[in-house]
Amino acid sequence: MTLAVQAGLWRRPDYDVADLGELEDICLREAHALGLAPPPVAFHLVPAEVVYDVASRGLPGRYSHWRFGQSYEQMKNDYDRGRSRIYELVVNTRPAHAYLLDGNSLVAQLLVIAHVLGHAVVFEESRYFEPADKGFLPRVRAAAERIDAYMSEVGRTVVEDFVDDCQALATAMPLAQLGKTYEEELSTDAPRRFDELFPDEAAARRRRADEEREAMRRRFPRNPEADVLGFVMKHARGLEDWQRDVIGIVREEQLYFSPQLQTKIIHEGMATWTHNAILQRLLLDSADFVEYQRLNASVTQPHPFSLNPYNVGWAIFRELERIAERPDDDERERWEWAGGGDAIGQILRVIEGYDDVALVSEFLTPKVCQLAKLYAWEHDARDARRLVISSREAEEVRTSLLAGIVNGGLPTVEIVDADHAGRGELLLAHRAEGVGLDAEYAKGTLAHLARLWGKPVVASSVAGDGSPVWYRAAPDGAPETLTTLDS
Amino acid sequence: MAVVRDSVLPADRGRRDARHHHERVRRQIGDHLRSKIGEEDIITAGPEKRIRVPVRGERRYRFVHDRGQGGVGQGEGEVGQGTAPQPGGEPGEPGTEPGEVMYEVVLDLDEVEEILFAELGLPRLKPRRSLEVTSEDVRFDDIARVGPLVDKKATLRQNLLRNAKAGAARVGGIEKDDLRYRSYRETPQPRTQAVVICMMDVSGSMGAREKHVSRLFYYWTVQFFRRQYTRVEVVFVGHTSEAFELDEHEFFTRKESGGTLVSSAYRLAQSIQRDRYPASAWNVYVLHTSDGDNLATDNPGTVALVREHLEVANLVGYLEIASSGLGPRPGRLSTALEAAGVDGLVIAHASDDREIWSALKTIFARDGVAEAVAA
Repeated sequence: MTLAVQAGLWRRPDYDVADLGELEDICLREAHALGLAPPPVAFHLVPAEVVYDVASRGLPGRYSHWRFGQSYEQMKNDYDRGRSRIYELVVNTRPAHAYLLDGNSLVAQLLVIAHVLGHAVVFEESRYFEPADKGFLPRVRAAAERIDAYMSEVGRTVVEDFVDDCQALATAMPLAQLGKTYEEELSTDAPRRFDELFPDEAAARRRRADEEREAMRRRFPRNPEADVLGFVMKHARGLEDWQRDVIGIVREEQLYFSPQLQTKIIHEGMATWTHNAILQRLLLDSADFVEYQRLNASVTQPHPFSLNPYNVGWAIFRELERIAERPDDDERERWEWAGGGDAIGQILRVIEGYDDVALVSEFLTPKVCQLAKLYAWEHDARDARRLVISSREAEEVRTSLLAGIVNGGLPTVEIVDADHAGRGELLLAHRAEGVGLDAEYAKGTLAHLARLWGKPVVASSVAGDGSPVWYRAAPDGAPETLTTLDS
Repeated sequence: MAVVRDSVLPADRGRRDARHHHERVRRQIGDHLRSKIGEEDIITAGPEKRIRVPVRGERRYRFVHDRGQGGVGQGEGEVGQGTAPQPGGEPGEPGTEPGEVMYEVVLDLDEVEEILFAELGLPRLKPRRSLEVTSEDVRFDDIARVGPLVDKKATLRQNLLRNAKAGAARVGGIEKDDLRYRSYRETPQPRTQAVVICMMDVSGSMGAREKHVSRLFYYWTVQFFRRQYTRVEVVFVGHTSEAFELDEHEFFTRKESGGTLVSSAYRLAQSIQRDRYPASAWNVYVLHTSDGDNLATDNPGTVALVREHLEVANLVGYLEIASSGLGPRPGRLSTALEAAGVDGLVIAHASDDREIWSALKTIFARDGVAEAVAA
C-alpha cells in the first residue's frame, strides 16, 4: 500500500519521535471514537533510502535483485528531484509495520498515521487476509539469505535470471490459492472402515479411482492446474535444489501480495476514508487545515484514463456512510441497513466480506460515478493509440471497471497437459472469455516458463478475430505463434 | 505501539541493487555509447561531465490481456472526446502499444570510457626494456629500531613487554631501548610508458569536417592509451609539404597553405622518436590522419618510412577521412599503402563522425590481443 503525493510541501522539521508518538495516540483515540479498532502498528521513522528500499521490494528485507534496484533508483530520483514522494508503506504482519518518511511535515505525518490505521483495520477485519501469515517477515529475511548464498554459489546473474523466470509466472496463480500448499487431490481406493457394510459404495469408489488412474495415464494433471509455479516446482525435471527453493520463495511471496491485488479499492478507500474521518475530528488551525486539504486533494486527484483507487474507494465509502444515515427511497428499498444510522457497522461489514469485485458490483452506483466523475473509455476504432471516452452510464462504467479487476485484471492460464504429444511438453490453456492474450507478452512469458520446465511449452488462446491461436516457446530459440497445433 | 527511529534494515540495500542494475545495463548500452562518441560535447565538457543514455528497459513479461480492451478513467470530458495518440507503455496500462519502457542512465566520462574501451585492444607488446623500468612503491608498514618517526604504539608495547619480563606488567619508565620507529618497505613496481605520435595533414585540403573527425579520433585514442599505460606522452606533428611539431591547440586549429608531402611527417616523427623516446624505454605508437591527398611521387618514400617505423613501433595506424561517396581513387594514400602491403600497418577509413568508432575498432582491434594471449 503506498500513498504518493506530489511534492512541494512546507516543512516543519523540528519534531521528534515523541511528537509522532503523540500524533499516533491522537489518531488511535479518534479511531476508537469512530468505532474502529485498528490492530497494533509499529511506526518506523526512516530516511528516504529505507522508505524507497522497502517500496521497491514490496516487503522489508526481501531478497536482492536488480529489478528492485531499478525501481528504487527511479523512485528515489523522482523524490530527489521533488517530482513525487511516497508517504507511507504498511506491511501486513502483527504488529503491522509502517514507515514514515523523515522530513515530511507534521501534518503529512498525521495524515499518514491516520491513513495507515485505515489499512490496519482492513488487514484485521477482511476475510481475504485471514489466511495471511502474520509472522511472515522472518521467512522473507531467511529466503533473502538463502538467495544470497545461491548467488555466491552459482553466480548472481544466473540466480537473478532464474528469479525473473519465476516472476513471469508468479501472477499466473489463482487468487483463491492463498495459504494453500501445492498438492494434488486424488481419489483413493484404500480400504475404509465401513466398506463391508456398504459394498456398493466401496466398489463405486474403487471404480472411480481406477478410472482416474487410467485418465492420469492418458493425461496429467488430471484437472487443469492454475498454480503454474507450484506445479513446475513439483514436477519439472532437471531442476537443482536451489532452483526449486527459489520457485517456492517467489510463489510464497506472491501469495502475500495476491489478496492486496484483490482489495486495492477497498484498502485505499478505507484508508482514505479513515484519514479524512480522523483529521476532520481534530481542530486543526487554518494553516494545518489547508495543508491537510492540499495533501488529501493530491492523493485523491482523479486520473484521466485510469482509475485512482484512493478517489473511487473513498467515494464509495462516503456513499456507504450517507446511505446508512440519509438514504433516498430507492436506497431504503434496496438495502435493509439503509437509514439505520450505523455507518461504521456497515463499513466494517463491507470490509469483512467484500473484495473489489463485490464492492464495485454492488456499490458503484450512478451517484458514485457522478461523485468520482467516472467514465468508460475505448480505443478509437481508426487509431488504436487514441483513447476515447465511450460512456458515462454507470452500467457501462461498472462493466468496464469489473473487466479490469476480475482476477486482479489478469487472464487465467492453466496447465492442462504436462506430457503434450507424448513429448513431455507443457500444454496450457487460456480461458479466454472473448479477450485474447497479448501475443508479445504471452510469448515472452512462455519463454520464461520453457526455461523452468526444461522442455517446450505451448499455450492456447484466441486471436483478435476470435480464431484459435497457439503460442509456443522452447528453452532455447525464439518463441512462435501457431495457427494449428500438432498433437 | 510506538514510533521509533529505526527500521532494522540496512540502509544501503536499495543502492546496492541499483548498482547491480547498472552493471546489467552497462552490458547493453555499449551500442548507444558508440554512436555518441562522434558528439563533440561529450569531450569538451571535461571529466565531470555526466552523459545521459536512454536505455530500453527489460520487459517484465507475464500473461496479460490483449490490448484493445477499454477501461475507466476519471475527470471532465464529453462522451466521444478522445486523447492524442498515446505512447506505448506496458500492456494493461493506459496506452495501447506494448511499447518500450525507456529510462535514462547517467554515466560519467570515466564509466563511459570503461564500457567503450572494453572492446578495444592493443597489439601484443614487443619485449623491451621499458617493462623492466621500475618505480619504488613506498609503504610505511614496518617497525625498526632506528629511524625518524617514533611509533608510539609499538614503543609502548615494547616498554610493557620489558617491564613484564622484569616482573611488573605496566607502562612506564620508557628507555632508549624501548623506542621503536616506523619504517618503510620498498616494493618494486613495473612502470609502463608509451608515446603516441599523432600526425595530421593540416594543408588546405583538410576541411572542417575532416579535422573534426580527426580531433575526436585522437581524443578517444589518447583517452584509451591513458587507461593502458601509467605514463603517456603525446606528440603532435602537422604537415603540409613540410612537417612541424605543434602543441595540441595549434595541431587542431592551424591551417597552412601549401602542397602535401606525407613523408615529411613520418620523417619528423622518426627523428622525434629517436631523439626523445628510445624504443628501449618507450612503447611507441605512430598514428596518422589525412584526407588521402599526397603527391604521388612521395608515396614510395612514405611506404619505406612506415616500414622503418614498424621496426620499433608497436603499431602504425593510418585513418583516411574522406567521403565514402567518392569511392577509392587511385591517387589516394590509402590505396598506395594498401598496394604496398606493409605488414603491421593498420589502415582505417571514416567518412564522418559516425564512423569514428569503427575506425577505432579497426586500429585497436581486440582480436589481435586475444590471439596474442592464446598464442
